Amino acid sequence: MASAAVRSLETLLQTRNLGSALPAMAAPPRRLATGWLAVDHRLGGGWSLGALSEVVGASSSGRTHLLLATLAQATRQGQVVALVDALDRFDPATAAAAGVCLDRVLWVRGAPVMVEQARPGVIEQAVKQAVRAGDQILRAGGFAVVALDLRDIPARCLQALPSITWLRLAQVVEPQDTVALLLADAPVGRSARGVSVLLEGRAVWQGDQVQSRRLAGFQPSWVVRSATGVTTGEASRRTAWEGAC
Amino acid sequence: MLIACLVYDAADPPAPHGAIEQVARAVSPRVTPCGRAAVVCDVSGLGRVCGPPAVVAREVLAQAAAAGLPVRLALAGTMTTAWVLAHARAGLTLGAVGTDAAMLAPLPLTHLLAITELDRHVAGVRRHTEAAVAIRTAADHRPVRRSSKSGGGSPGTSTPGDASFRSYRDRLATLERWGIDTCGALAALSRADVRARLGASGVRLHQAACGEDVVPLVPIAQAREFVDRIELEWPIEGLEPLSFVLARQCDRLARHLEQADRGAVAIRTTLTLTTRAHHVRTLALPAPIRDAKVLRTLILLDLESHPPDAGIDVVDLQLDVVPGRIVQGSLLARATPSPERVSTLLARLTALCGEGRVGSPVVLDTHDGRACGLAPFLPPSSGSTVTEPILAAEAREAMQSAAMTGFSTVTEPILAAEAGPGERAPVPAHLRRWRRPRPVQVEVARGRPAQVAWFTPHDRAMAVRACAGPWRTSGAWWDTDAAATWDRDEWDVELADGLVYRLARHRGTGAWEAEGVFD
Repeated sequence: MASAAVRSLETLLQTRNLGSALPAMAAPPRRLATGWLAVDHRLGGGWSLGALSEVVGASSSGRTHLLLATLAQATRQGQVVALVDALDRFDPATAAAAGVCLDRVLWVRGAPVMVEQARPGVIEQAVKQAVRAGDQILRAGGFAVVALDLRDIPARCLQALPSITWLRLAQVVEPQDTVALLLADAPVGRSARGVSVLLEGRAVWQGDQVQSRRLAGFQPSWVVRSATGVTTGEASRRTAWEGAC
Repeated sequence: MLIACLVYDAADPPAPHGAIEQVARAVSPRVTPCGRAAVVCDVSGLGRVCGPPAVVAREVLAQAAAAGLPVRLALAGTMTTAWVLAHARAGLTLGAVGTDAAMLAPLPLTHLLAITELDRHVAGVRRHTEAAVAIRTAADHRPVRRSSKSGGGSPGTSTPGDASFRSYRDRLATLERWGIDTCGALAALSRADVRARLGASGVRLHQAACGEDVVPLVPIAQAREFVDRIELEWPIEGLEPLSFVLARQCDRLARHLEQADRGAVAIRTTLTLTTRAHHVRTLALPAPIRDAKVLRTLILLDLESHPPDAGIDVVDLQLDVVPGRIVQGSLLARATPSPERVSTLLARLTALCGEGRVGSPVVLDTHDGRACGLAPFLPPSSGSTVTEPILAAEAREAMQSAAMTGFSTVTEPILAAEAGPGERAPVPAHLRRWRRPRPVQVEVARGRPAQVAWFTPHDRAMAVRACAGPWRTSGAWWDTDAAATWDRDEWDVELADGLVYRLARHRGTGAWEAEGVFD
């Protein structure tokens, strides 16, 4: 009886051209692999195209690795990507070593501001400039990934932006085959189809001897938040993010 | 066919640029300019308009006289004959079709050296034509600066250093030793015998002595200039009213570009101001463009960043052009942003962020890790893909090598990319570099950093949990600029808060600074 009612409701929605409202009938979201296999596994194949997603975490948690892996994945497929670097902290040599084809990257460099020593208003100006640049790149279209790097920017500066800002960015990216990525220290905003990847990590050192020791990388843990729920990555711990999100 | 060769007949002053060509174009549409001082043109059809060759020659000389140019003129049945005669004899030399060998016969052999320059120009024209075809058919169109020297066949005079000139001179010396001192005597020889004794250069000389062309005359179309000028009745203040003026000009220029199948690769905007000063801006475009709206937007965005100081009286636009683009998109590859869109986007971003802040990152050829550069962003055409996983292939190769030798040369990103979802491999640490390094105070114990204190009041000193280093790096010590040299020890340091920094100690001063954080 219930199924018949559901069917009739679906038929009614379709006759009114509202069929896309039915989740079962909506086309499966197209995705762009992050290049980090474990995260791809959790995301169901990668970032959703046409969505605003975010990568969140403290420094030394693996955020840059996730960003560079995504850029490398896209550029190796022959696509072009854009990186809006609000504080001008991108290192091209590191990116090239991570497999990013640099000639397919549009790099927008913000002001090289030291957050701790910046005069009042300078960081706010840098944030506005970065958001406007990201908006213009998204509107131009044709980029596989548009990353807006707002890391190391104090939360108060991001909170000073109107909340409609992120909604507008999400609307711009929605009809496009583009992944819009926000990178920040704390959750900022994502679209309904986007995800928040919350990262934590600890440094891993190799070498027993003092002379041979070197930084091997980070052992990350992550929480993926989306509109449909929360999935956790390997070795994840319940952290402050659980409350923050 | 009747060919005319017009040569500037004065050593000083040099021929004005394009003047001889203008004289030739006044009488014939089929013209091949050969440098500034000579031109070859086809005057075959003029017999019906002007009369016999003598009348045609008088017309040409009258045009040259009107332009104030002292010239030599030769009319003959072939390009080679006309060229040699014009260079050998002053004034007017008239020949008839079919009498080329007879016309050249009394000339001394040394006059044949003049064909060196003709051959070079002809080869240059051929290369220019082939290059134009190549540009039109290329899939990936990059802005190509138009050069006054086309295709390597640069006009100029033959010098004794030229290989072909030396070759001809040697062959002619040989012929003179054999007692052959006129073109007629050379033409009387068997070409097969000349080839057997003097090779290809000897054959070319024999052809010239007979008045034969190697290739037919290839006319070069007159270079068309894409300029537009508007003199305003009233001065314009501000960019908004200027946009309407620019719209008209760009529409006209775009129409001309469309007709000529050309695209603009550079826009030169010259604004004559009410102060009689000229405000000149030049925009280089990443790809040939002929969309009027895009051109106007680019000019306006550039002028927004660099506005004129006073009201505008005259607006001049000049375009550098290349052949139009032929784009063959791929059905299967993802479309990349179109060049028009990229140009507009870059102009907008440059207006927003400033000059030198937008482009493609470049790794500079230096061991100084802090150095980086920015190149113009020129997205490759859609469909061009990067060779798939170069890194993965390199990784496998390196892993095999490591297994055999016991030494691993695999970089960390590659290892992480190869790790599966169930593996617990650490992800590589990437440096986020601070463009302005932050001075820090470091307490050293047993030769290694033990405590780091920032020079800010709210940051307290933190103990070092782990560190690696030092990695000594130095360079540019040969440079006279002391600021360019570097000599420092680098450390990777994990502090008590779990963050990992890159610290550097300048060996000269002993000062420490934090260069960035690993993420």
